[in-house]
Amino acid sequence: MAREILRRLRSWEGLLLVVLLVILAYNITRVPNFLTIGNQVNLFQLGIEKAIVVLIMTFVIISGEIDLSVASMMGLSAAVAAAVFEAGAPMPVAILVALGVGAGFGLLNGYFVAVVGLSSLAVTLAGYVGFRGLARLLVQDRSVGGFPEWFTNLGQRGLVGPLTLSILIFAVLAVIASVVLHRSGLGRLTYVIGNSAQVARYSGVSVARTKMIIFTMSGLISALAGVLMAARLGAVRASTAEGFELDIITVVLLGGVSIFGGVGSMIGVLLSTYLVLNLRNGLIIAGITGNTQTGIIGLLLILSVLVPNLAGRVQDRLRRRQVDPSMRAPPSGAAEPTRSQAAPG
Amino acid sequence: MSDAILRRVRPEQFREFILLFVTVGLLLFFASQIPNYFDPRSVNRLTTGLAITLVVAVGQVLVVLTRNIDLSVSSMVGLTAYVVGTILTRVEGMHPLVAAALAMAIGLALGAINGLIVAYGKVPAIIATLGTLALYRVVLVEFSGAKTVTTADLPDWLNDVPSATLASAGGYDLRLMVGIALLVAILGQLTLRYLPFGRRLYAIGSNPEAARTAGLPVQRDVFTAFALSGTLSGLAGFMFLVRFGNITVTAAQGLELQVVAAVVVGGVNIFGGSGSMVGALLGVLMIETLQQSLLRWAGISEFVKDAILGLLILVAVTADTIILGRLREMWVRVRRRDHARAQVAIADEGGVAHGA
Amino acid sequence: MNVNVKTRRFLTGVMCAGLLAANIGGVTLAQTPVAGSPVAGEAVTAEPGQDVKMMLLPKFLGILPFDQANQGAQEAAEELGNPTPFDFVGPTAENSVAGQIEFVTNAPAGGYDVVMLSNNSGDQIVPSAVAAQEAGTRVVTWDSPIPTGEGESLFVAQVDFDETGQVMADMALSILGEDGGQFAILSASPDAANQNAWIAAMESALEDPKYDNLELLEIVYGDDQSERSYEQAQALISKHPDMELIMAPTSVGIVSAAKAVQDEGLCDEIKVSGLGVPAEMLEYTQNGCAPEFALWSFVDLGYLTYYVSYLLATGAIEGVEGETFVAGRLGEYEITKDPTRPDVDALRVLMGPFTVYNIDNVEEAAG
Repeated sequence: MAREILRRLRSWEGLLLVVLLVILAYNITRVPNFLTIGNQVNLFQLGIEKAIVVLIMTFVIISGEIDLSVASMMGLSAAVAAAVFEAGAPMPVAILVALGVGAGFGLLNGYFVAVVGLSSLAVTLAGYVGFRGLARLLVQDRSVGGFPEWFTNLGQRGLVGPLTLSILIFAVLAVIASVVLHRSGLGRLTYVIGNSAQVARYSGVSVARTKMIIFTMSGLISALAGVLMAARLGAVRASTAEGFELDIITVVLLGGVSIFGGVGSMIGVLLSTYLVLNLRNGLIIAGITGNTQTGIIGLLLILSVLVPNLAGRVQDRLRRRQVDPSMRAPPSGAAEPTRSQAAPG
Repeated sequence: MSDAILRRVRPEQFREFILLFVTVGLLLFFASQIPNYFDPRSVNRLTTGLAITLVVAVGQVLVVLTRNIDLSVSSMVGLTAYVVGTILTRVEGMHPLVAAALAMAIGLALGAINGLIVAYGKVPAIIATLGTLALYRVVLVEFSGAKTVTTADLPDWLNDVPSATLASAGGYDLRLMVGIALLVAILGQLTLRYLPFGRRLYAIGSNPEAARTAGLPVQRDVFTAFALSGTLSGLAGFMFLVRFGNITVTAAQGLELQVVAAVVVGGVNIFGGSGSMVGALLGVLMIETLQQSLLRWAGISEFVKDAILGLLILVAVTADTIILGRLREMWVRVRRRDHARAQVAIADEGGVAHGA
Repeated sequence: MNVNVKTRRFLTGVMCAGLLAANIGGVTLAQTPVAGSPVAGEAVTAEPGQDVKMMLLPKFLGILPFDQANQGAQEAAEELGNPTPFDFVGPTAENSVAGQIEFVTNAPAGGYDVVMLSNNSGDQIVPSAVAAQEAGTRVVTWDSPIPTGEGESLFVAQVDFDETGQVMADMALSILGEDGGQFAILSASPDAANQNAWIAAMESALEDPKYDNLELLEIVYGDDQSERSYEQAQALISKHPDMELIMAPTSVGIVSAAKAVQDEGLCDEIKVSGLGVPAEMLEYTQNGCAPEFALWSFVDLGYLTYYVSYLLATGAIEGVEGETFVAGRLGEYEITKDPTRPDVDALRVLMGPFTVYNIDNVEEAAG
C-alpha cells in the first residue's frame, strides 16, 4: 500500500516534470529573451507572493482543511501596514503590526476550525469576505503610497545580485516547509490528520493544536506575502491581491495534493509552482490575453489528472486481458488500487 | 425544549429550525435598523433577488451530497445568459419557453461535460470544476467578441418577465421568477425524499466505496447530479438574462462562492451525505438577506459593509453549530436517561418477578 | 545598481531621452523627412510603414468601450501601414490589477516598443512602468492615467477630467431643475482612478452656488458588474425615498441603474444619468428613464492613442511639452502639461469633445 502510494506520487511528479520541460522547451525556443536573468527574475517576481502562500496552503490542504481567506489576508496586512505607517509610525513597526494582525486572525481561524469545530470552508469564507472588508475600511477608496525608500527598494531591487528579498524569502521558506512537512512530527501529524481525523490515534488536543498552528502560520505567511507585495508595488489599495486564492489553490492541487487531505508532497507543489510561473510568463510574452491564460491553466489542471487516469485504465484493461486467462499472476500494482479501494477493511 | 420532542426527533432535524430561527433574528434586527423594511416593495425586491441564487443552489446541493462540488456554476450561468441573449437578439419571435428550454439544454451540455470528467474521468470534482470555471469563461469571452447584450436588442416580453406576478396579496407579490425558484426547490426536495435517485445520492456521499460495493450506479448518479447542476445553472442563466438584461462577459462572476456559502450555511455537509433543500433555501435566504440588507442600511458607510458581512457569516455559522451541539448533548442526555430508566424498569420487573 | 527613489524619476527621464536618441537614430537611417527635433508650432506628421511592435492593454477585455477603442486603433494601424499588427490583450476582469502589472512588466521581454495602457492599477503600476521605460518600452496611457505620472510617457485624455465633473453637475442640474433635489452616485469600483477623479471633480463643481439645491446623498459602487450595479441601484431606491436621480459615471453602471429604475416602474420619479454608450442607452433615453447622458468617442480615443504611440515609438515626436502633431482624420494636437494633475509632472494630449446625448441625437449615435 505504501509502495503503491509512493509509486503513484513519483509518477505524478514525473508527469509534472515532463510538462514543465515541454513548457520550458517552448519558452526557450520561441520566447525572445526568455533565458535572460532579467526575465527569470521577473518570472518569479510577478508571482512570488502567491508562491510564498502556496507553501503554507500545501499544509492546510494536506491536513484536510482549506483556507479561502489567504488573499483577503494579504490585502488586509498590506492595508494595515499602510494605515499604521500613514498614522505616523515607523515602517518596521507598521510591518510588525501587519504581521501580528495576520497571525492573530490566523489563530482565530484556527480556533473556530479546531476548537469550535466549524467547517474551515465556512470559517475562512467569512474571513474571505471580512478581511477584505477590513482592508476596505482602512484604505477606503484611496491608494496609499510614499513608503520609505528602503522598503520599496526591498520589494523592487535585487538584494543579493538580481535576487529580491521576496525571492530569497521564498527560497528559505520552501526549504523549511519541505523539511517540516516531510521530516518532522508536525508534518507527520499533518498527513495523519488529513488522512482521517477520526483514525488519528492522537489526542484531540494535539490534533487541535496542529490545526491551530497551521492556520496561524497561514495567516502569518499570507500577511508577510501582503507586506512584500506592498513593497513590490509601492502602493496599497484595498483590492490588493484580490482573487489570488483560486490561483493559489489551483497550484497546490496541480502539485498533486489531494483536496481531501493526506496526500501530496512539497516537491510536486514546487514543480507546479515553477510550471505555472513559466506558463504565464511564456503566454504573456507571446501576447496571449489573460482569459486564455486562465483557460489554458484550467485545461492543464483537468488534463493533468484526466490523462494519467485514462492511460492507466487502458493499461489496466490490456494487462487484465493478458493476465486473466492464466489467473495465476499476482495482482500487479496498477490494477490494484481500484480493487483495494472497492473493498475497504 | 421538552424531553418529549427530543425523544421523537434527532437533533439534525432541528437544523432547519435553528437556521430559520437565526434568519428570523437577522430579519428582526435589520427591521429595527432599516425603515420600511417589511413594506411590500422592499420585500418584493428581496425575494426576487433570491431566485437566481436559489436555483443554482438546488443544483449545487445535489452535487455536494455526493461528496463533490461544482465551482463552475457561475461561468455556466454567465455563458448561458450570454448565448441565449445573443440568440434572442438575432432570432425574431422565439417563444419564451423555447428560449428557456434552450438555456437549460446549454446548461445540460456544460454540466454533462463536468459530469463526464468527474464521474468517468475520475478527476476530483474541485479540480475539474475549477478548470471548467476558467474554461467556460474563456469560451464566453471568445464567443462574445467584446459585444454586450443589451436590453434594447432583446424582445419586449423579456423586459416584462421580471415584474410578472403569479399571485399578490396586499402588495406582496409572488413574482414569476420566485415561483419558478421555489418550484425547483420543492421538486429538488421531493427528489431527495422520495426518488431512489435522491436516496442514493445520500448513500454515495456518506460512503462512496460502500455504495459502489453495494452495487449502486455511483458513476451514473454522480454524472446525473452534475448534469442537473448544469441544467439548473442554465435555467438560472436564463433568469439572469431576464432580470439584468445587460450581459457582459463578467456576468455572474463570483456567484460560485455565494452559492457554496449558502449551501454550507444551510447545513449541507460539504463532505457529502447530509443536507436538504430546505436547508439550502434557508442558507440562500440568510446570505441574500445579509447582503441585500447591508446595502440598504443607511446608517453605515459603504466601506464597512463587507467587514460586517464577514462577521455576520461567522456569527451565523457559529450560532448554528453551537445550538446544534447543545441540542445534540441534550438529546444524548435524554436518551441516556431513558435508557437508564428502561434498565431500571427491567431490573424492577426482574425483581418483581423474583419476588413473586 | 541600487537607485534610490528620489533620483529614479530623474534617471528615468534621462534614460528615456537616451533611448529616444537611439530611436531617432534608427529613424534617421530610414531617411524619414519628419525626423529630428520638430520645430515648435510645426505639426509633425507620421511617416507610414514603419515597423513598431505595439500592445493595446485595456483594463480588461469584453466590454464595449474597450472594443471600440480597439476598432479605432485598428483603423489607425491600417492607415499607418505598420507591418506588425498590434496585440489587443488584457487581463481577466477579476485579475485586472495584477494582470496589467504582469503585462507591463513582461512587455520589454516581449519586444514591445510601446504599451498603450488604460490603467486600472493606480500607482501600483508605477514600478513596472518605470522598469519598462528603462528597458526601452514606452508607456502611453489612455482612458485612465497613472495618477502620479511616473513611468508614463504621456496620457491621451478622452476629455478634460475637470470638465467631466462639470458636465455631470450640469446634467444633474438640467434633470433636477432649478429647485434641485437629492441624487446619488453609482460608480465602478472604489479603486477606479478615473471614476474617482471625475467624482472628485463633480464634487468640487457642485460647490458653485448655482448647484446649491443639488444634494449628493452618497456614493456606492457596483464594481462594473451588471448584477451588482443593479442591486446597488435597487438599494438606493429603497434607502432614499426622495432621491430623484442616480448619476453613474460608468457605462456598465448607467445601463444597470436604468434597467433597475425601469423594472421598478419609477422612471417618472427617478432619472438616471452619467456616462454611457449610446447603443446601450438608446431604449432608456427614448422611454425617459435616462433623458440625458454623456460620452466621448472611444473609437476616436483608440485612433488617437495609436497615432501618438506610433509617433513616439518611431521617434517622430519626443513626448515633450509643446510638441504638436497631426493625428490622421482627427487633425492637429498638442502635448501639454496635464492641468488636472497639477501636483505631478505629467503630460497630456487632450482629445475631446464631450457629447451630451438626449432624445434628439441618441438614435443617430447608436447607429
